[in-house]
Amino acid sequence: MAELSDKDIIEKIKNGEIDYYSYIVKKYTTSIYRYIERKLFKKDEADDLVQNVFISFYKAIEKFDEKRPIKPYLFQIVQNELKMYYRSKKPTTSLYDVIYLEDDRLQDITDDDYLSHLNQVERNIFQYISKGYSYEEIEKLLKKPVNTIKSIVRRGRIKIKSAYADKK
Amino acid sequence: MKKLEDKIIKKIYRMEAGKTIGQIISEVSLTILLILSSLFIFSVIVEILNEQASFDLFDFLRDDFEIIKENFLNNSLLFFQELPLPLIYILIGLSLLLVWLLYIVIINSNKIKNKLVSIYKFWLK
Repeated sequence: MAELSDKDIIEKIKNGEIDYYSYIVKKYTTSIYRYIERKLFKKDEADDLVQNVFISFYKAIEKFDEKRPIKPYLFQIVQNELKMYYRSKKPTTSLYDVIYLEDDRLQDITDDDYLSHLNQVERNIFQYISKGYSYEEIEKLLKKPVNTIKSIVRRGRIKIKSAYADKK
Repeated sequence: MKKLEDKIIKKIYRMEAGKTIGQIISEVSLTILLILSSLFIFSVIVEILNEQASFDLFDFLRDDFEIIKENFLNNSLLFFQELPLPLIYILIGLSLLLVWLLYIVIINSNKIKNKLVSIYKFWLK
């Protein structure tokens, strides 16, 4: 078996001899596992990610050019898996939750000085928010799509933050 | 690490077994379906031609060579005009599909055989 190169192994797998895939798994699992473990510090999740990497590689093996080295390709899959993992761990807010401003200092927007930096539509939305309305309720009141309201809120926040920073 | 490697290999085999069996079942059933529908269309065409007595156009083939030589072209043209063309087109389409499918099956047969051998060896191990 020691005589077989990665190229020969890939050719054999492409020809249906899937038992040769175990050589690839045995050869690269340790390095991939160590790399992922260093990034995650959680053994269980590292196990899952390593499994996903090898399954993804197996699925892509038909299109894989056997002349190319395997290791960089595997590490590219590792990067993608890690990206997906971090994305899945990112906190998300439910659409139906009551909205609170991210910055505690901006929780109470009653100061006309700050609101004066906003246009009429933005001001209306922020006033609804300060009264405790949800996006869904504001959507019904203003007859605007939720995504539009979200972008208006985001723009408004940036304006207020920059005004607040200037004043400081 | 050995445990993780075994887990990965087991997952790959399970996935490949499902995929290969699915591929075999779909290819075999599609081939059977195409053969059966081609036979059905062919029998319908023969039935129609029988009802039209189109095959009588070739009765002259039992005669002398001179008569055959004289009538062959005309009678053949008449026969082709009497063919139910939509059914013929469907039959040609089905036959082409069948040939294409058989070509794919023959090309992949070695690969599928190797996969089945690997899966069989793994589960027996």
